[in-house]
Amino acid sequence: MEPSRELNFDALVIGGGIAGLQAALDLADQNFKVAIVEKDATIGGKMIRLSKVFPTLDCASCITTPKMAASAHHENISIFTYCDLTSLKRDGQEIKADITQMPRYVDADKCIGCRQCEYGCPVYVPNHEEGNFNFRKAIYIPFSNAIPQIALMDVENCSLCGKCAKVCPTGAVDYFQQPEDFVIRAKTAVLATGFKLTPMDQKPQYGGGKIQNLISSLDMERLLAPHGPYQRVIRPSDGKEPDSIAYVQCAGSRDKTLGVPYCSRVCCMYAIKQAMLLSGALPLADITIYYMDIRAFGKGYEQFFQNAKAMGIEFVKAKIAKIEQADNQYVRLRYEDQEGNGGVVEREHDLVVMSLGMVPDWNPAGVCDVACDTDAFIKSTIPSLAPTVTSIEGVFAAGVAIGPKDIVDTIAEAGAAAMEASKYLNALENPKAA
Amino acid sequence: MMSDQKKSDKEGLKALRQQRKASIERARKAIKAQNQNVKAIREQMKSGGKTIPEIAAGAGLPTDQVLVYVASLKKYGMVIEGPKDGDYFKYELAPK
Ligand SMILES: Cc1cc2nc3c(=O)[nH]c(=O)nc-3n(C[C@H](O)[C@H](O)[C@H](O)COP(=O)(O)OP(=O)(O)OC[C@H]3O[C@@H](n4cnc5c(N)ncnc54)[C@H](O)[C@@H]3O)c2cc1C
Ligand code: SF4
Ligand code: SF4
Repeated sequence: MEPSRELNFDALVIGGGIAGLQAALDLADQNFKVAIVEKDATIGGKMIRLSKVFPTLDCASCITTPKMAASAHHENISIFTYCDLTSLKRDGQEIKADITQMPRYVDADKCIGCRQCEYGCPVYVPNHEEGNFNFRKAIYIPFSNAIPQIALMDVENCSLCGKCAKVCPTGAVDYFQQPEDFVIRAKTAVLATGFKLTPMDQKPQYGGGKIQNLISSLDMERLLAPHGPYQRVIRPSDGKEPDSIAYVQCAGSRDKTLGVPYCSRVCCMYAIKQAMLLSGALPLADITIYYMDIRAFGKGYEQFFQNAKAMGIEFVKAKIAKIEQADNQYVRLRYEDQEGNGGVVEREHDLVVMSLGMVPDWNPAGVCDVACDTDAFIKSTIPSLAPTVTSIEGVFAAGVAIGPKDIVDTIAEAGAAAMEASKYLNALENPKAA
Repeated sequence: MMSDQKKSDKEGLKALRQQRKASIERARKAIKAQNQNVKAIREQMKSGGKTIPEIAAGAGLPTDQVLVYVASLKKYGMVIEGPKDGDYFKYELAPK
Protein backbone atom coordinates (compact mmCIF):
# COMPACT_ATOMS: atom_id res chain seq x y z
CA MET A 1 0.00 0.00 0.00
CA GLU A 2 1.29 3.50 -0.85
CA PRO A 3 1.74 5.76 2.17
CA SER A 4 -1.19 8.15 2.37
CA ARG A 5 0.89 11.06 3.65
CA GLU A 6 4.36 12.19 4.63
CA LEU A 7 4.84 14.32 7.74
CA ASN A 8 7.89 16.30 8.82
CA PHE A 9 9.06 16.93 12.37
CA ASP A 10 12.26 17.97 14.10
CA ALA A 11 12.19 14.97 16.43
CA LEU A 12 10.49 11.61 16.44
CA VAL A 13 9.94 9.78 19.75
CA ILE A 14 9.14 6.07 19.59
CA GLY A 15 7.17 5.00 22.68
CA GLY A 16 4.79 7.07 24.79
CA GLY A 17 5.74 5.79 28.25
CA ILE A 18 7.18 8.13 30.85
CA ALA A 19 10.59 8.15 29.08
CA GLY A 20 9.08 9.10 25.72
CA LEU A 21 6.73 11.70 27.20
CA GLN A 22 9.52 13.37 29.18
CA ALA A 23 11.87 13.47 26.19
CA ALA A 24 9.09 14.85 23.97
CA LEU A 25 8.12 17.55 26.49
CA ASP A 26 11.74 18.64 26.97
CA LEU A 27 12.22 18.97 23.20
CA ALA A 28 8.85 20.62 22.60
CA ASP A 29 9.56 23.19 25.33
CA GLN A 30 12.66 24.17 23.32
CA ASN A 31 10.35 24.89 20.39
CA PHE A 32 11.14 21.76 18.38
CA LYS A 33 8.26 20.03 16.60
CA VAL A 34 7.93 16.52 18.02
CA ALA A 35 5.98 13.40 16.98
CA ILE A 36 5.31 10.63 19.50
CA VAL A 37 4.52 7.24 17.96
CA GLU A 38 2.96 4.73 20.37
CA LYS A 39 1.88 1.17 19.64
CA ASP A 40 -0.83 1.04 22.32
CA ALA A 41 -4.20 2.77 22.03
CA THR A 42 -3.11 5.11 24.85
CA ILE A 43 0.06 6.85 25.96
CA GLY A 44 1.38 6.50 29.54
CA GLY A 45 3.29 3.19 29.35
CA LYS A 46 3.63 1.11 32.50
CA MET A 47 3.64 4.08 34.86
CA ILE A 48 -0.02 4.98 34.26
CA ARG A 49 -0.89 1.37 35.13
CA LEU A 50 0.89 1.46 38.54
CA SER A 51 -0.85 2.11 41.87
CA LYS A 52 1.65 4.24 43.80
CA VAL A 53 5.37 4.75 43.24
CA PHE A 54 8.34 4.11 45.49
CA PRO A 55 10.01 5.72 47.31
CA THR A 56 7.55 8.62 47.79
CA LEU A 57 4.31 6.58 47.60
CA ASP A 58 2.83 9.25 45.33
CA CYS A 59 -0.26 8.11 43.43
CA ALA A 60 1.08 7.02 40.01
CA SER A 61 -1.95 8.21 38.12
CA CYS A 62 -1.84 11.65 39.83
CA ILE A 63 1.71 12.27 38.64
CA THR A 64 1.54 10.56 35.23
CA THR A 65 -1.78 11.97 34.01
CA PRO A 66 -0.53 15.62 34.04
CA LYS A 67 2.50 14.60 31.91
CA MET A 68 0.21 12.74 29.51
CA ALA A 69 -2.15 15.70 29.30
CA ALA A 70 0.73 18.19 28.91
CA SER A 71 2.03 16.17 25.95
CA ALA A 72 -1.41 15.82 24.40
CA HIS A 73 -2.08 19.57 24.66
CA HIS A 74 1.40 20.83 23.75
CA GLU A 75 1.29 22.87 20.54
CA ASN A 76 4.62 21.38 19.43
CA ILE A 77 3.71 17.71 20.04
CA SER A 78 1.68 15.44 17.76
CA ILE A 79 0.72 12.03 19.16
CA PHE A 80 0.06 8.98 16.98
CA THR A 81 -1.37 6.05 18.96
CA TYR A 82 -2.22 2.49 17.92
CA CYS A 83 0.65 2.49 15.44
CA ASP A 84 2.91 -0.22 14.10
CA LEU A 85 6.41 0.98 13.31
CA THR A 86 7.47 -1.07 10.28
CA SER A 87 10.77 0.64 9.45
CA LEU A 88 13.07 3.21 11.04
CA LYS A 89 16.13 4.16 9.01
CA ARG A 90 18.57 6.95 8.40
CA ASP A 91 17.85 8.43 4.97
CA GLY A 92 20.55 10.98 4.15
CA GLN A 93 20.23 13.87 6.60
CA GLU A 94 16.95 12.55 7.97
CA ILE A 95 15.43 9.69 9.93
CA LYS A 96 12.60 8.05 7.99
CA ALA A 97 9.91 6.06 9.79
CA ASP A 98 7.32 3.93 8.01
CA ILE A 99 4.24 3.58 10.18
CA THR A 100 0.92 1.80 9.91
CA GLN A 101 -1.90 3.23 11.99
CA MET A 102 -4.23 0.39 12.94
CA PRO A 103 -7.95 0.94 12.49
CA ARG A 104 -9.89 1.68 15.70
CA TYR A 105 -13.12 1.36 13.70
CA VAL A 106 -14.03 4.64 15.39
CA ASP A 107 -13.57 8.07 13.83
CA ALA A 108 -11.07 9.78 16.14
CA ASP A 109 -12.36 13.23 15.18
CA LYS A 110 -15.95 12.39 16.08
CA CYS A 111 -15.52 10.22 19.20
CA ILE A 112 -16.17 12.12 22.45
CA GLY A 113 -15.21 9.22 24.75
CA CYS A 114 -18.71 8.93 26.23
CA ARG A 115 -18.50 5.10 26.44
CA GLN A 116 -22.12 4.59 25.37
CA CYS A 117 -20.90 2.09 22.77
CA GLU A 118 -19.08 0.13 25.50
CA TYR A 119 -22.14 0.00 27.74
CA GLY A 120 -24.32 -1.04 24.79
CA CYS A 121 -22.04 -3.74 23.34
CA PRO A 122 -23.27 -7.24 24.23
CA VAL A 123 -19.88 -9.06 24.12
CA TYR A 124 -17.73 -9.53 27.22
CA VAL A 125 -14.01 -10.01 26.51
CA PRO A 126 -11.23 -10.84 29.03
CA ASN A 127 -9.59 -7.54 29.99
CA HIS A 128 -5.80 -7.92 29.65
CA GLU A 129 -5.39 -4.36 30.97
CA GLU A 130 -6.70 -5.59 34.33
CA GLY A 131 -4.88 -8.94 34.49
CA ASN A 132 -8.02 -10.64 33.07
CA PHE A 133 -9.65 -10.11 36.49
CA ASN A 134 -12.68 -8.53 34.79
CA PHE A 135 -14.16 -8.12 31.32
CA ARG A 136 -14.17 -5.25 28.89
CA LYS A 137 -16.45 -5.14 25.84
CA ALA A 138 -15.70 -5.70 22.15
CA ILE A 139 -15.72 -1.89 21.78
CA TYR A 140 -14.06 -0.07 24.65
CA ILE A 141 -11.87 2.71 25.98
CA PRO A 142 -8.70 1.09 27.43
CA PHE A 143 -9.12 2.66 30.90
CA SER A 144 -10.58 5.73 32.57
CA ASN A 145 -7.43 7.85 32.38
CA ALA A 146 -6.31 6.70 28.93
CA ILE A 147 -5.20 9.47 26.56
CA PRO A 148 -6.68 9.87 24.01
CA GLN A 149 -10.18 9.00 25.28
CA ILE A 150 -11.17 7.40 22.00
CA ALA A 151 -12.92 4.04 21.74
CA LEU A 152 -11.57 1.14 19.73
CA MET A 153 -13.21 -1.98 18.44
CA ASP A 154 -11.73 -5.45 18.75
CA VAL A 155 -13.12 -7.00 15.57
CA GLU A 156 -11.96 -10.51 16.51
CA ASN A 157 -14.60 -10.48 19.26
CA CYS A 158 -17.25 -8.35 17.57
CA SER A 159 -20.52 -9.92 16.43
CA LEU A 160 -21.20 -6.98 14.11
CA CYS A 161 -24.60 -6.54 15.74
CA GLY A 162 -24.65 -2.81 14.98
CA LYS A 163 -25.59 -1.76 18.52
CA CYS A 164 -22.54 0.49 19.05
CA ALA A 165 -23.26 2.46 15.88
CA LYS A 166 -26.89 2.78 16.91
CA VAL A 167 -26.15 4.20 20.38
CA CYS A 168 -23.17 6.40 19.47
CA PRO A 169 -24.38 10.03 19.78
CA THR A 170 -21.85 11.38 17.27
CA GLY A 171 -21.91 8.73 14.53
CA ALA A 172 -18.26 7.91 15.25
CA VAL A 173 -18.40 4.14 14.75
CA ASP A 174 -16.96 3.22 11.35
CA TYR A 175 -17.04 -0.50 10.58
CA PHE A 176 -15.15 0.05 7.34
CA GLN A 177 -12.06 1.83 8.63
CA GLN A 178 -8.81 0.60 7.08
CA PRO A 179 -5.18 0.62 8.29
CA GLU A 180 -3.36 3.75 7.15
CA ASP A 181 0.28 3.74 6.06
CA PHE A 182 2.17 6.98 6.48
CA VAL A 183 5.73 8.26 6.71
CA ILE A 184 7.32 10.49 9.31
CA ARG A 185 10.56 12.27 8.45
CA ALA A 186 12.51 13.82 11.31
CA LYS A 187 16.02 15.12 11.89
CA THR A 188 16.52 13.14 15.09
CA ALA A 189 14.82 10.33 16.99
CA VAL A 190 14.56 9.06 20.57
CA LEU A 191 13.84 5.38 21.16
CA ALA A 192 11.85 4.95 24.39
CA THR A 193 10.26 1.55 23.85
CA GLY A 194 10.44 0.32 27.45
CA PHE A 195 9.90 -3.20 28.72
CA LYS A 196 7.55 -6.08 29.23
CA LEU A 197 7.62 -8.69 31.98
CA THR A 198 8.86 -12.25 31.47
CA PRO A 199 5.89 -14.62 31.00
CA MET A 200 4.15 -16.25 34.00
CA ASP A 201 4.30 -19.68 32.36
CA GLN A 202 8.01 -19.65 31.65
CA LYS A 203 9.12 -22.03 34.41
CA PRO A 204 7.53 -25.47 34.77
CA GLN A 205 8.62 -25.56 38.44
CA TYR A 206 6.51 -22.44 38.97
CA GLY A 207 3.36 -24.17 37.73
CA GLY A 208 3.53 -23.21 34.04
CA GLY A 209 0.98 -20.38 34.49
CA LYS A 210 -1.80 -22.67 35.73
CA ILE A 211 -1.83 -21.96 39.48
CA GLN A 212 -4.80 -20.04 40.90
CA ASN A 213 -3.94 -17.02 43.05
CA LEU A 214 -0.42 -16.84 41.64
CA ILE A 215 -0.26 -13.42 39.96
CA SER A 216 2.33 -11.08 38.41
CA SER A 217 3.66 -7.92 40.04
CA LEU A 218 1.86 -5.77 37.45
CA ASP A 219 -1.40 -7.63 38.29
CA MET A 220 -0.86 -6.65 41.93
CA GLU A 221 -0.37 -3.01 40.87
CA ARG A 222 -3.85 -3.21 39.33
CA LEU A 223 -5.35 -4.85 42.45
CA LEU A 224 -3.89 -2.03 44.54
CA ALA A 225 -4.97 0.77 42.17
CA PRO A 226 -8.07 2.74 43.26
CA HIS A 227 -9.72 2.08 39.86
CA GLY A 228 -8.57 -1.54 39.77
CA PRO A 229 -10.69 -4.53 38.78
CA TYR A 230 -12.16 -5.19 42.26
CA GLN A 231 -11.36 -1.80 43.80
CA ARG A 232 -9.84 -3.75 46.68
CA VAL A 233 -7.41 -6.65 47.14
CA ILE A 234 -9.20 -10.00 47.07
CA ARG A 235 -8.20 -13.48 45.91
CA PRO A 236 -8.97 -13.90 42.18
CA SER A 237 -10.06 -17.52 42.67
CA ASP A 238 -13.09 -16.77 44.88
CA GLY A 239 -13.10 -13.20 46.23
CA LYS A 240 -11.69 -14.07 49.66
CA GLU A 241 -9.84 -11.28 51.43
CA PRO A 242 -6.33 -12.72 51.78
CA ASP A 243 -4.86 -13.43 55.24
CA SER A 244 -1.45 -14.20 53.90
CA ILE A 245 0.35 -12.78 50.85
CA ALA A 246 3.85 -13.64 49.63
CA TYR A 247 6.34 -12.32 47.07
CA VAL A 248 8.69 -14.50 45.06
CA GLN A 249 11.67 -12.31 44.19
CA CYS A 250 13.89 -12.85 41.13
CA ALA A 251 11.08 -14.95 39.62
CA GLY A 252 12.45 -14.35 36.13
CA SER A 253 15.65 -12.41 36.68
CA ARG A 254 19.18 -13.57 37.60
CA ASP A 255 18.28 -16.89 36.01
CA LYS A 256 20.47 -18.07 33.12
CA THR A 257 18.01 -20.85 32.25
CA LEU A 258 15.48 -18.15 31.30
CA GLY A 259 17.99 -16.11 29.32
CA VAL A 260 17.72 -13.29 31.89
CA PRO A 261 21.02 -13.43 33.80
CA TYR A 262 20.79 -9.80 34.89
CA CYS A 263 19.05 -8.16 37.86
CA SER A 264 15.85 -6.27 36.87
CA ARG A 265 16.75 -3.61 39.48
CA VAL A 266 13.28 -2.42 40.44
CA CYS A 267 11.63 -5.64 41.70
CA CYS A 268 13.01 -5.50 45.27
CA MET A 269 11.77 -1.95 45.64
CA TYR A 270 8.33 -2.46 44.07
CA ALA A 271 7.79 -5.62 46.14
CA ILE A 272 8.60 -3.65 49.31
CA LYS A 273 6.31 -0.84 48.11
CA GLN A 274 3.44 -3.23 47.37
CA ALA A 275 3.97 -4.99 50.72
CA MET A 276 3.69 -1.63 52.51
CA LEU A 277 0.53 -0.71 50.57
CA LEU A 278 -0.95 -4.14 51.35
CA SER A 279 -0.27 -3.80 55.04
CA GLY A 280 -2.16 -0.50 54.89
CA ALA A 281 -5.07 -2.02 52.93
CA LEU A 282 -5.19 -5.31 54.87
CA PRO A 283 -3.78 -4.57 58.34
CA LEU A 284 -4.43 -8.13 59.59
CA ALA A 285 -2.69 -9.91 56.69
CA ASP A 286 0.75 -11.54 57.01
CA ILE A 287 3.08 -10.41 54.25
CA THR A 288 6.26 -12.30 53.40
CA ILE A 289 8.95 -11.48 50.84
CA TYR A 290 11.15 -14.41 49.75
CA TYR A 291 14.35 -12.88 48.39
CA MET A 292 17.91 -13.70 47.30
CA ASP A 293 19.36 -10.26 48.17
CA ILE A 294 17.58 -6.96 48.70
CA ARG A 295 18.94 -4.36 46.30
CA ALA A 296 17.89 -0.98 47.67
CA PHE A 297 20.36 1.13 45.73
CA GLY A 298 18.66 4.52 45.24
CA LYS A 299 18.36 7.62 47.39
CA GLY A 300 16.15 6.89 50.37
CA TYR A 301 15.64 3.27 49.29
CA GLU A 302 17.50 1.60 52.19
CA GLN A 303 15.35 3.60 54.63
CA PHE A 304 12.27 2.45 52.71
CA PHE A 305 13.39 -1.18 53.22
CA GLN A 306 14.06 -0.62 56.93
CA ASN A 307 10.62 1.00 57.31
CA ALA A 308 9.01 -2.09 55.73
CA LYS A 309 10.78 -4.35 58.25
CA ALA A 310 9.65 -2.10 61.08
CA MET A 311 6.06 -2.39 59.80
CA GLY A 312 6.21 -6.15 60.37
CA ILE A 313 6.75 -7.36 56.81
CA GLU A 314 8.60 -10.66 56.98
CA PHE A 315 11.74 -11.05 54.85
CA VAL A 316 12.85 -14.65 54.26
CA LYS A 317 16.18 -15.26 52.52
CA ALA A 318 15.40 -18.08 50.12
CA LYS A 319 15.22 -18.92 46.43
CA ILE A 320 11.82 -20.51 45.83
CA ALA A 321 12.38 -23.91 44.19
CA LYS A 322 8.81 -24.95 43.50
CA ILE A 323 5.33 -23.44 43.43
CA GLU A 324 2.24 -25.68 43.58
CA GLN A 325 -1.51 -25.46 43.98
CA ALA A 326 -2.49 -26.51 47.50
CA ASP A 327 -5.96 -27.36 48.84
CA ASN A 328 -8.56 -24.60 49.26
CA GLN A 329 -6.96 -22.57 46.47
CA TYR A 330 -3.86 -21.83 48.55
CA VAL A 331 -0.46 -21.55 46.87
CA ARG A 332 2.33 -23.73 48.29
CA LEU A 333 5.94 -22.51 48.14
CA ARG A 334 8.87 -24.84 48.65
CA TYR A 335 12.35 -23.58 49.49
CA GLU A 336 15.58 -24.40 51.23
CA ASP A 337 15.82 -22.77 54.64
CA GLN A 338 18.99 -20.64 54.60
CA GLU A 339 18.61 -18.86 57.92
CA GLY A 340 17.04 -21.32 60.43
CA ASN A 341 17.70 -25.01 60.85
CA GLY A 342 18.19 -25.74 57.15
CA GLY A 343 16.24 -28.35 55.21
CA VAL A 344 13.31 -28.02 52.83
CA VAL A 345 10.44 -25.85 54.06
CA GLU A 346 6.90 -25.62 52.66
CA ARG A 347 4.55 -22.72 53.35
CA GLU A 348 1.11 -21.91 52.01
CA HIS A 349 -0.30 -18.48 51.19
CA ASP A 350 -3.66 -17.11 50.00
CA LEU A 351 -2.09 -15.04 47.26
CA VAL A 352 1.43 -15.13 45.79
CA VAL A 353 3.01 -12.43 43.63
CA MET A 354 5.79 -13.17 41.13
CA SER A 355 8.38 -10.41 40.81
CA LEU A 356 8.98 -11.20 37.15
CA GLY A 357 11.99 -10.11 35.10
CA MET A 358 12.05 -7.11 32.77
CA VAL A 359 12.82 -7.75 29.09
CA PRO A 360 12.72 -5.29 26.16
CA ASP A 361 9.25 -4.64 24.74
CA TRP A 362 10.69 -3.99 21.27
CA ASN A 363 12.92 -6.15 19.14
CA PRO A 364 14.30 -3.84 16.43
CA ALA A 365 15.35 -6.74 14.17
CA GLY A 366 14.03 -6.21 10.66
CA VAL A 367 12.72 -2.72 11.51
CA CYS A 368 15.74 -0.72 12.53
CA ASP A 369 19.43 -1.61 12.53
CA VAL A 370 20.17 0.03 15.90
CA ALA A 371 22.66 -2.15 17.82
CA CYS A 372 21.45 -4.12 20.83
CA ASP A 373 23.47 -5.53 23.74
CA THR A 374 23.76 -9.23 24.60
CA ASP A 375 20.83 -8.68 27.01
CA ALA A 376 18.73 -7.54 23.98
CA PHE A 377 18.23 -3.99 25.33
CA ILE A 378 19.35 -1.13 23.04
CA LYS A 379 23.10 -0.64 23.24
CA SER A 380 24.54 2.58 24.59
CA THR A 381 27.63 3.08 22.48
CA ILE A 382 29.22 5.50 24.99
CA PRO A 383 27.80 4.06 28.24
CA SER A 384 30.07 5.89 30.68
CA LEU A 385 29.96 9.37 29.14
CA ALA A 386 26.79 9.62 27.05
CA PRO A 387 24.49 6.67 27.90
CA THR A 388 21.70 7.79 25.57
CA VAL A 389 23.84 7.68 22.39
CA THR A 390 23.06 4.67 20.13
CA SER A 391 24.81 3.14 17.14
CA ILE A 392 22.84 5.32 14.67
CA GLU A 393 23.86 8.94 14.24
CA GLY A 394 21.15 11.27 15.51
CA VAL A 395 19.19 8.44 17.18
CA PHE A 396 19.16 8.42 20.98
CA ALA A 397 17.54 6.11 23.53
CA ALA A 398 16.09 6.52 27.02
CA GLY A 399 14.44 4.64 29.86
CA VAL A 400 14.07 0.90 30.19
CA ALA A 401 14.61 0.56 26.41
CA ILE A 402 18.34 0.70 27.31
CA GLY A 403 18.09 -1.47 30.43
CA PRO A 404 16.03 -1.96 33.61
CA LYS A 405 15.71 1.13 35.78
CA ASP A 406 13.23 2.95 38.00
CA ILE A 407 11.16 6.02 37.17
CA VAL A 408 13.60 8.53 38.69
CA ASP A 409 16.46 7.25 36.52
CA THR A 410 14.15 6.92 33.51
CA ILE A 411 13.11 10.57 33.74
CA ALA A 412 16.71 11.74 34.23
CA GLU A 413 17.78 9.70 31.21
CA ALA A 414 14.89 11.00 29.09
CA GLY A 415 16.03 14.55 29.88
CA ALA A 416 19.56 13.59 28.84
CA ALA A 417 18.33 12.05 25.56
CA ALA A 418 16.32 15.21 24.83
CA MET A 419 19.41 17.31 25.48
CA GLU A 420 21.52 15.16 23.12
CA ALA A 421 18.79 15.39 20.48
CA SER A 422 18.52 19.16 20.94
CA LYS A 423 22.31 19.53 20.65
CA TYR A 424 22.19 17.45 17.48
CA LEU A 425 19.37 19.57 16.01
CA ASN A 426 21.20 22.81 16.82
CA ALA A 427 24.38 21.49 15.20
CA LEU A 428 22.41 20.67 12.02
CA GLU A 429 20.99 24.22 11.95
CA ASN A 430 24.27 25.85 12.79
CA PRO A 431 27.18 23.56 11.87
CA LYS A 432 29.83 26.21 12.57
CA ALA A 433 28.76 26.60 16.21
CA ALA A 434 28.89 22.84 16.81
CA MET B 1 -36.89 5.35 -0.26
CA MET B 2 -33.51 4.31 1.13
CA SER B 3 -30.75 6.88 0.50
CA ASP B 4 -27.77 5.84 -1.67
CA GLN B 5 -25.46 6.15 1.36
CA LYS B 6 -27.64 3.87 3.50
CA LYS B 7 -27.90 1.37 0.68
CA SER B 8 -24.16 1.18 0.16
CA ASP B 9 -23.58 0.90 3.96
CA LYS B 10 -26.03 -1.97 4.05
CA GLU B 11 -24.29 -3.71 1.19
CA GLY B 12 -20.89 -3.03 2.74
CA LEU B 13 -22.01 -4.55 6.06
CA LYS B 14 -23.31 -7.59 4.24
CA ALA B 15 -19.90 -8.08 2.61
CA LEU B 16 -18.15 -7.51 5.96
CA ARG B 17 -20.38 -10.12 7.62
CA GLN B 18 -19.39 -12.58 4.94
CA GLN B 19 -15.71 -11.73 5.33
CA ARG B 20 -15.77 -12.09 9.13
CA LYS B 21 -18.10 -15.08 9.20
CA ALA B 22 -15.94 -17.22 11.52
CA SER B 23 -15.24 -14.55 14.17
CA ILE B 24 -18.88 -13.34 14.11
CA GLU B 25 -20.04 -16.90 14.71
CA ARG B 26 -17.63 -17.21 17.67
CA ALA B 27 -18.77 -13.88 19.12
CA ARG B 28 -22.45 -14.86 18.81
CA LYS B 29 -21.80 -18.14 20.64
CA ALA B 30 -19.89 -16.24 23.34
CA ILE B 31 -22.79 -13.77 23.77
CA LYS B 32 -25.23 -16.65 24.23
CA ALA B 33 -23.11 -18.41 26.85
CA GLN B 34 -22.31 -15.13 28.63
CA ASN B 35 -25.98 -14.10 28.77
CA GLN B 36 -26.86 -17.43 30.38
CA ASN B 37 -24.10 -17.00 32.97
CA VAL B 38 -25.11 -13.41 33.73
CA LYS B 39 -28.73 -14.48 34.11
CA ALA B 40 -27.79 -17.31 36.50
CA ILE B 41 -25.58 -14.99 38.56
CA ARG B 42 -28.18 -12.21 38.75
CA GLU B 43 -30.84 -14.76 39.71
CA GLN B 44 -28.77 -15.69 42.78
CA MET B 45 -28.60 -12.07 43.92
CA LYS B 46 -32.36 -11.47 43.59
CA SER B 47 -32.97 -12.74 47.11
CA GLY B 48 -30.33 -10.37 48.56
CA GLY B 49 -26.56 -9.95 48.85
CA LYS B 50 -24.41 -13.04 48.42
CA THR B 51 -20.70 -13.89 48.52
CA ILE B 52 -18.88 -15.25 45.45
CA PRO B 53 -18.84 -18.86 46.78
CA GLU B 54 -22.58 -18.61 47.55
CA ILE B 55 -23.40 -17.27 44.07
CA ALA B 56 -21.16 -19.91 42.47
CA ALA B 57 -22.78 -22.77 44.40
CA GLY B 58 -26.29 -21.57 43.51
CA ALA B 59 -25.51 -20.87 39.84
CA GLY B 60 -23.44 -24.03 39.34
CA LEU B 61 -20.44 -22.06 38.06
CA PRO B 62 -16.79 -22.01 39.21
CA THR B 63 -15.96 -19.31 41.80
CA ASP B 64 -13.19 -17.69 39.74
CA GLN B 65 -15.50 -17.30 36.74
CA VAL B 66 -18.27 -15.85 38.94
CA LEU B 67 -15.87 -13.27 40.35
CA VAL B 68 -14.89 -12.11 36.83
CA TYR B 69 -18.59 -11.65 35.97
CA VAL B 70 -19.44 -9.93 39.24
CA ALA B 71 -16.45 -7.57 38.92
CA SER B 72 -17.59 -6.73 35.38
CA LEU B 73 -21.26 -6.26 36.33
CA LYS B 74 -20.03 -3.94 39.09
CA LYS B 75 -17.90 -2.00 36.58
CA TYR B 76 -20.89 -1.55 34.26
CA GLY B 77 -23.15 -0.45 37.14
CA MET B 78 -25.36 -3.53 37.49
CA VAL B 79 -24.00 -4.82 40.81
CA ILE B 80 -22.79 -3.11 43.98
CA GLU B 81 -20.56 -4.33 46.78
CA GLY B 82 -22.39 -4.96 50.04
CA PRO B 83 -21.15 -5.66 53.58
CA LYS B 84 -18.47 -8.15 54.55
CA ASP B 85 -19.41 -11.63 55.67
CA GLY B 86 -16.43 -13.38 57.28
CA ASP B 87 -13.54 -13.28 54.81
CA TYR B 88 -15.83 -12.48 51.87
CA PHE B 89 -17.80 -9.49 50.60
CA LYS B 90 -21.43 -9.76 49.63
CA TYR B 91 -22.58 -8.47 46.24
CA GLU B 92 -26.03 -7.08 45.49
CA LEU B 93 -27.99 -6.10 42.41
CA ALA B 94 -27.74 -2.34 41.89
CA PRO B 95 -31.02 -0.50 42.48
CA LYS B 96 -32.70 0.28 39.14
C1 LIG C 1 5.23 -4.06 38.89
C2 LIG C 1 6.09 -2.86 38.69
C3 LIG C 1 6.04 -1.83 39.60
C4 LIG C 1 6.89 -0.72 39.46
N1 LIG C 1 6.85 0.26 40.41
C5 LIG C 1 7.72 1.30 40.32
C6 LIG C 1 7.73 2.32 41.33
O1 LIG C 1 6.95 2.27 42.27
N2 LIG C 1 8.66 3.33 41.23
C7 LIG C 1 9.56 3.38 40.19
O2 LIG C 1 10.39 4.29 40.18
N3 LIG C 1 9.54 2.46 39.20
C8 LIG C 1 8.65 1.43 39.24
N4 LIG C 1 8.63 0.48 38.24
C9 LIG C 1 9.50 0.69 37.05
C10 LIG C 1 8.79 1.61 36.03
O3 LIG C 1 7.65 0.94 35.57
C11 LIG C 1 9.73 1.94 34.87
O4 LIG C 1 10.88 2.57 35.37
C12 LIG C 1 9.09 2.91 33.86
O5 LIG C 1 7.77 2.55 33.55
C13 LIG C 1 9.91 2.93 32.59
O6 LIG C 1 9.32 3.78 31.64
P1 LIG C 1 9.65 3.66 30.07
O7 LIG C 1 8.97 4.79 29.43
O8 LIG C 1 11.11 3.49 29.88
O9 LIG C 1 8.98 2.26 29.62
P2 LIG C 1 7.44 1.83 29.46
O10 LIG C 1 6.64 2.31 30.58
O11 LIG C 1 7.52 0.37 29.18
O12 LIG C 1 6.96 2.59 28.15
C14 LIG C 1 7.37 2.22 26.86
C15 LIG C 1 6.30 2.60 25.85
O13 LIG C 1 6.77 2.32 24.53
C16 LIG C 1 5.75 1.67 23.79
N5 LIG C 1 6.39 0.89 22.73
C17 LIG C 1 7.12 -0.26 22.85
N6 LIG C 1 7.53 -0.67 21.64
C18 LIG C 1 7.04 0.21 20.73
C19 LIG C 1 7.12 0.31 19.31
N7 LIG C 1 7.81 -0.58 18.57
N8 LIG C 1 6.51 1.33 18.69
C20 LIG C 1 5.81 2.25 19.41
N9 LIG C 1 5.70 2.20 20.77
C21 LIG C 1 6.32 1.20 21.42
C22 LIG C 1 5.02 0.84 24.83
O14 LIG C 1 3.73 0.50 24.39
C23 LIG C 1 5.02 1.79 26.03
O15 LIG C 1 3.92 2.66 26.01
C24 LIG C 1 7.79 -0.64 38.35
C25 LIG C 1 7.82 -1.68 37.41
C26 LIG C 1 6.99 -2.78 37.58
C27 LIG C 1 7.05 -3.90 36.59
S1 SF4 D 1 -21.04 -4.21 16.48
FE1 SF4 D 1 -19.47 -5.31 17.63
S2 SF4 D 1 -18.47 -3.77 18.90
FE2 SF4 D 1 -20.42 -2.92 18.18
S3 SF4 D 1 -21.89 -3.40 19.81
FE3 SF4 D 1 -22.03 -5.07 18.31
S4 SF4 D 1 -20.58 -6.61 19.05
FE4 SF4 D 1 -20.10 -4.72 20.13
S1 SF4 E 1 -17.54 5.73 19.62
FE1 SF4 E 1 -19.36 6.98 20.02
S2 SF4 E 1 -20.39 5.97 21.74
FE2 SF4 E 1 -18.27 5.18 21.66
S3 SF4 E 1 -17.12 6.51 23.07
FE3 SF4 E 1 -16.93 7.37 21.02
S4 SF4 E 1 -18.58 8.91 20.88
FE4 SF4 E 1 -19.10 7.58 22.62
